This record gives sequence, C-alpha cells and structure tokens, in this order.
Amino acid sequence: MDATTATETGTAVRTPGARRRPDRHGWLAPDNLLIAALSIVVVVISILPLIYAIDAAFYKETMIGLTTQRSLKAIYEVYFTSEYLSYFWNALSLGFIVTVISVVYGVGMALIISRTDIPFKNTLDLLTIMPMFVSPFTGLIAWISLGSEKTGFINGVLAEVGNFLGFSIEPLVNIWTFGGIVWVMVLFFCPFVYLFTIGNLRGMDSTLEEAARTSGAGTFYTLTRITLPVCLPAILSASLLVFILSTEVYTMPGILGAPDGFVTLTWQIYKDSTTFPVHRAHAAASGTMILWIAVAGLWLQRRLTRKAEKFVTVTGKGFRGKPIPLGVMKWPALIIVGAYIIFADILPLIAIVLSSLMKYSSGVLTADIFTISHYVKFFSLSEVRLALWNTMMLAALAGAVCVVLGFLISYFEVRRSNRVTVTLAFLGTISVAVPGLIYGIGMLWLYLKTPLYGTVWILLLAFVAKYLPYGILVSRSGILQVHPDLEQSARVHGASPLRVIRSILIPIAKPTLIAVLFFVMLSSIKELSASLLLYSQKSPILSVLTWNYMDGGEYQFASAVGVVQTILMIGIVIITRIAFRIKLEAATLSK
Amino acid sequence: MGSNSIIRKAVLACGIAFAGALVPAAFTTASAAEIAADKSNDALYADAKAEGSVVVYTSNVLAGMNAVSADFMAQYPGITVEVTRIVGMQQYQRFAQEVAANQNIADIINLTDKPVLTELINSGDVARWKVPTFDRFTDEYKVEDGGYALTATIPVLIYNETKVTPEEADILRNSWAGVLDPRFKGRFAVQTQKCGLCYVGVHLFLDPANPAKLPDNFIEKVAAQEPVVYADLTNPIDRVIAGEQDFTYWSWEAIAATKRQSGAPVRFVYPDPTPVFANNYFSVSGHAPHPNAARLYMNWLASEEGAKSFQKHFNGATTLQGVKDERSFASEDWYKPVKTEYKPDFKRWGENYVSDMEKWIDAMSKK
Repeated sequence: MDATTATETGTAVRTPGARRRPDRHGWLAPDNLLIAALSIVVVVISILPLIYAIDAAFYKETMIGLTTQRSLKAIYEVYFTSEYLSYFWNALSLGFIVTVISVVYGVGMALIISRTDIPFKNTLDLLTIMPMFVSPFTGLIAWISLGSEKTGFINGVLAEVGNFLGFSIEPLVNIWTFGGIVWVMVLFFCPFVYLFTIGNLRGMDSTLEEAARTSGAGTFYTLTRITLPVCLPAILSASLLVFILSTEVYTMPGILGAPDGFVTLTWQIYKDSTTFPVHRAHAAASGTMILWIAVAGLWLQRRLTRKAEKFVTVTGKGFRGKPIPLGVMKWPALIIVGAYIIFADILPLIAIVLSSLMKYSSGVLTADIFTISHYVKFFSLSEVRLALWNTMMLAALAGAVCVVLGFLISYFEVRRSNRVTVTLAFLGTISVAVPGLIYGIGMLWLYLKTPLYGTVWILLLAFVAKYLPYGILVSRSGILQVHPDLEQSARVHGASPLRVIRSILIPIAKPTLIAVLFFVMLSSIKELSASLLLYSQKSPILSVLTWNYMDGGEYQFASAVGVVQTILMIGIVIITRIAFRIKLEAATLSK
Repeated sequence: MGSNSIIRKAVLACGIAFAGALVPAAFTTASAAEIAADKSNDALYADAKAEGSVVVYTSNVLAGMNAVSADFMAQYPGITVEVTRIVGMQQYQRFAQEVAANQNIADIINLTDKPVLTELINSGDVARWKVPTFDRFTDEYKVEDGGYALTATIPVLIYNETKVTPEEADILRNSWAGVLDPRFKGRFAVQTQKCGLCYVGVHLFLDPANPAKLPDNFIEKVAAQEPVVYADLTNPIDRVIAGEQDFTYWSWEAIAATKRQSGAPVRFVYPDPTPVFANNYFSVSGHAPHPNAARLYMNWLASEEGAKSFQKHFNGATTLQGVKDERSFASEDWYKPVKTEYKPDFKRWGENYVSDMEKWIDAMSKK
C-alpha cells in the first residue's frame, strides 16, 4: 500500500504514520530530476525576467536611461506622489467599473444560455466567446471606425435613419471618452466571465435546483438562492481575473482616454519606457504597483478556485435538469445575448473588414474609396509573409511547450504534493500577474547577452512565460479529474511513472490538453506588449506589425493585417471545434 | 527502467539546451571591419554582396522606408535591406544596450536627438563616414561626419479640404495665432506626444524673442479654443482625414503629403513662421555587422537617387542641395510654400524641453 491516500478531489496526501516506500535513487530519482529541471526552467523563463524588471526600479535615472547608482527616488515618487497615485487610482477605478459591468452581463448571458430553453444555444455559445479570439488592438481600430462621434459608422447610420424618418438624430456614441474605454473593454472581457461561469453552471448537479422547484420555489428564487450562490466562487474568480486584466491593459485606455485626459498607470509605464525623457526606473516601480495587485488577486483567485472545487459538484453528469422555459421572455433573452454578439462580434468585424478595404479613413462610404491594394501589399511584402509564418510557428510551439510544461508541473503538484512542487506551480503561474510590458523589459535585459537575443526564440520564451499559467492551472483541473486509484493500480502492475502518464493520464486529460494547446496558440497570436520590445528584423509577428502600421498612421493596412490575424484565430477555433470536437471553453481556469 | 532512463536523458538534454542558450554572446561576436574612408561604391558593392544584407533601425513610417529600401535593392541586387521600426528614444536605448552587450544587429540607425548622436559619434558607436555628397549637405543637416538628416522636418497644419475653406486655410497659414479665431473653436485636434516635431511648435511659442508675434499666454489661449487632445501624432491626422476633426494643430508635412498622395481629402498649410529643422538623422553603426553594405546604403540614401526615392515615398523635403523638389503636391494650385523659416535654438531646446512640454501637456489637459 502506498503511503498516500486520495482525497475526494483526487489530491494525494500523506497518511499519518504510514511508511514511505523506499526510494532506490534518493535525490537522483527521475521524478526529482524532472522536478529540478522544471524548477530551473520556471526560474529562468518566468522568475528571472521579473527580478530583472523590478530591479530597475532601484536605480538613479538619467534622461535617457539608468545610471549604475542605486536610488529609491523612483519608488518614492511612484508610491507617494499624487501624480502616480492618480494614475494608479484611474487604473483601479477603470478596472472596477469594467469588472462590475462584465460580471453582470457575462453571468447574465451564461445563465440564459446554460439554464434556459433559449434557441440556437450552440451558435450563441460560440459567438459569445468569439471576442476572445480577436486581438483587442484590432478591436480598438474597429471601434474607432464605429464609434467616433462625427464620422463613426454607428452615428452615421443613426443619422441616416433619422433623415429617412424626417427628424435629426444627434451623435449618440463617442468612443473617445471614459465611457468609450469602458464599453470596448467590457466587450472584450465579458467572455472571460461568461466562460468561468458557464463552466460551473454546466458542471453543476441540477438536483439542488430541482429540489428547490419541487418545494415550490419560483425560477427567480431558485436562481438567486441556489444557482448563483453555488457559482459564487467561480464568479469571484472571474471578477478577479477581469480586474487584473483590465488594470494592465494600456493601449485602449491610453489611446481612447487622451481626449478626456484620462491616464492609467500602465499607459504611463508605456510612456515612461518609450518617450523622451525616459523614466525607466519609474516604469519599473509602477510595474511593481500593478504586480502587487495582481499577485494578491492571483493568490485570492487560487484560494477561491480551490473552494470552488469543493463547492462545485463535478459529477460528470453535467446539467441534466429541464431547462427553464422562457415563454414570452424568450425574445428579451435573445435581445440580451444578441445585442452583445452584434456589438462584440458582428459590428467590429464588419468595421475592420471595411477599414481594410478603404484607401483612407472615412465616415462616408463611396465606391471610389475601396481598394484591395492593402491585401495585395500584405502578400507581396516579404516582411509580412515572414510575420505570418513566425506568428503561426510561435503560436504552435508556445502552445505545445505550455501543454508539456504545464502538464508536468501540475502533475507533480497534484500527485507529488510537497512544498517544492506547490511552490513550483505557484511560481509558474505568477507571470499571469505581470504586465506584458514589464515582462518584456525583464526578458530583454536578461537575454540581451545570449544568442537568443534578436531571434524568434526570445519571443517563444516570452510567450511560454506569459501563458504557462494557463497550462498549469488548466492541466491541474484535468489531472484532478483522474482518480489516483487508476494510476496506483497501473503502478502495482509494474507500469513505470512515465508509462502511467502516457497510458492513463494523458488519454483521459487529452481534451483538456488540446484545449490548452489551442488557447495558448490564440493568446500568443494576440500578444503585443512584450513582443513590441523583443521583436527584431528576423522575428516580426503580426501583432507587432499591426501596431507599427497603426502607429505610423497606416490604419487601413493595419486593419488588413488585423483581418488576417483574426481569420487565423477563427480558423483555429473552427478547427478545434470541428476536427477535434473540442470547445476552447474547456481551457478556462474555472474547471 | 527504460522510461527512467528517458527522463534522465530528457533532463540532461534540457539542461544542455538551457546552458547553450545562456552562453554569453561575447563568444559569438561580429565586429565591424575597418573600411577605407575613400572606398568607392563599386568596391563597397562588391564586398556588400558577400555580406548579403543591411539591417536598418528606423523611426520612420514602415511602408515608406520599405519602399525606399526596395529602390535601393533594385539598384543593388544581391543585398537585402531588413527594416525594423523602433521609434525615438526606444531605438537609442535598444542600440545602446546592444552595443554594450556586444549584440550588434543594426547596420544603420535613425535617431532624432542631435546631442545623443554626437555622443555616439565621439564614443565610436556611430561610425564616421563621409558620404560622397558630404559637401552638398549644409552643416545644419549633418552631425559632424556621422549623421545625415536626409530630409528637413517641417510642421504643417493638416486640414480636411471638405471642412476648411480656402479663406480659413489662409488665416491658419498667415500666423500660428490664426487658430485663436473664434470660428475655429472646437474644430481642431492637438496631441500630447513627446517628440521633436511634437515639441517644435511649443518651442516657437515660448521663444523669448516671440518671432511669431503671439499674444501673451498663447498656449492657454489655444487650450481655451477647446481642441480635442490625442495621445500621439498619428491619431489626429487619421481623424482629420476621416472628417472627425477639421484640422490638426500641427503635424508632419511628410505624412500629410503621403496621405494626400493616397487620395485622402487633405491639404496642409505652413503656419508662419515655419520651423524647418533637422530631426531625423541616418548613421552607420560603428559596430555594423555588414559594414560595406551599411556604407553603400548610406551613400545611396545621401545620393540624388536616394533623395528622389525619399521624395517619392516619404514626401520629405530633401536637404541634399541641388535636387529639385519633385513632390507631386508642390505643383498643385492650393500649395503655398514656407513663407518664413524659423530655426529652433537647440541650446534652449535642450534646457527647456521637459518643462516646456509639461507646460503644453498641462494646459491641454486642463482645457
């Protein structure tokens, strides 16, 4: 008998007093060697860049960089002066508002799609998560076309409708405001809440709700007193993730917030890092401020996720109860979900495609303004072809590496649970909390003196570091689904640990692992912050090209690059759905 | 047993891979060879073909730089130009870090800051290289023999021709203070980016000699006109093209002309007096991995062919003397050239850049 006993969730714990099986290899046992190797990888890829980035906060600055003298000036000015505290406050308030709205709408849509008899469920489900597969930067370009006050397509169409009906409609939408920032960010973060919640709602045992209904409880009472409380840990978990993500995004608030004078801390980090006079120590110090929030959030999220695992009755049966009949409420429900799909998917896609086919930006669409020259140019420029190839290759490799590393780290955390493996898993996930820009700076400094610098491989390391957390957390949930008895019986029959992993764990966890693979691929295709600092002439990627062309004022060509990038991502989603019969929502951290 | 062995081998392989990845680049360095100062283009080309490529770091618009490079490649087959866009101070930092780490990637750099460039020339990190047309550049447009401003940087007010009348365009052209005319309230865009071109207007406004004859508290008065403030230089241009704003208070002539060339309904005026200055220097890296190709490319950029290519693809005002202005807009009837040139005082620029920009940003933020 092994010295461990499986808990209800599958986590192995030592039984008090049990004798440990003698280990023939001691510290040199293959397991330990592998753990040591994984630790080195995590430290080199995830932790050292972070240390390098933070270290910069403690140097004296010149107008163009850092001196070799140590100083606490930047830390003081960031943490204790009103200027930076106001940027920090702006980031927090924006994060809070975006989170609250995203949670309300995301949970609402998850309830409607998972718990009611709304028609077209599968289609609505796919379209609701689609914004996750569009680069937020591409979405930003689209919303500038759609939501500008005087020339935006939305106000233009409304004005035309007004003219047709015989009255004038003043512009209703202006994306270049604080409200505009919130709007675009909510559209992009809603799917995270949706996925976190719907995973729980689908996996939840329906007998509790049926019991409530049998006892005479109404639909509303059942939803608010039974369904939502059970999902509360997942909702809180989603809230934290959205809060962290929305405080670290800088392009949307930075660009759209300027007319309102709204500056967030991450936009200030970008400006401090890139414009003269450079405030690199201030950027690093500001990064630590974001980091503390994110680390605290991550820690809280891990606790909540663990609680969620206790609360949620993952029985494998899924939701088998009778869906709530909507009756006449079917149309309002369809409008709620449909409105989201129109604003988050359909309109931005139309806008970005139109923009990519125009000679220049215009609120008036006439035949002579259209051209296919941007696409001709796209495929004729060798740099763009290289970017397309690099993007696909890096996405595939980052996905594969994150699956392998994530699976192994989680395996050891769950099946060989001790301080080392738990710490390893925590360190591996910490990078989810670090703004990409800060990470990019750390990576650049760490790898500057190595042959990796200037190659496409430094981008691969950055992607692996950034998305390894998904690999770890999602694999963990996949491994937890496999009862340790299966592995133990295989071991009793003489199977080696590797054989057990290969023949038992991987086949069972395969759908989850494939979902992780494609999820990391999609995230890598979108990554911009770290890539901007690390790319070189040998390693252009599509997201950086989009930024470079937009920054140079070539919005239409940037749109064409964005369209190709989006097609690439939607293609991946369709392949995972059709060829592998896997839904990418399996790759959420809520499982 | 077999699988344990596989794990051990895998761990060992990973270890070797990581150790290999972390080997300092010092062991794999490439250093720039000494090139004779009078080496001819033919000799440079012969050696450049063996090098195969030239790596250019640029702050300029990517499409334009790619087009210029394509012209070079057409003239010198066998050499590939690889362009990486890294803007402003980021480029200096990256170049300086790479040099310090002996990770030499760039052959040509494209900096905007003259004092920084001077420092790099003196330290040897930027090569001293006299292009064959050296004497056709005035001192204003070169930094010793290490940096060449191939085009003059000129701010313009870009306006949407369907929104601004010719009469209004004249008001804007006649004086920087024209923007204070009540008719322009709420119709224009400004930006708060920090860059040389972004600063030059502020530099003029705060010139103690007041050559533009501006009223007191001019910046505050501009802010009182309620412009829409954008975070960077290109957003306002795009918004003017789209018709969202009527004109920018100020942008870059080269972008304005390129947009017009693409069919966008924009024109521009040079408000009087107009800063005309060097802010876009090309240099050969002192550690260029492709030293012959780099010098050949630099020679070509500074030649008449290069100047014409820049005119065609960038619409930049060439600084190479004796080259005719063949930019398409220069022959259009609405076009009126710069009336009075204003030369920035770079000493005051260096001393006051930070505080002046803060003053501008503060005023626009409080509008």
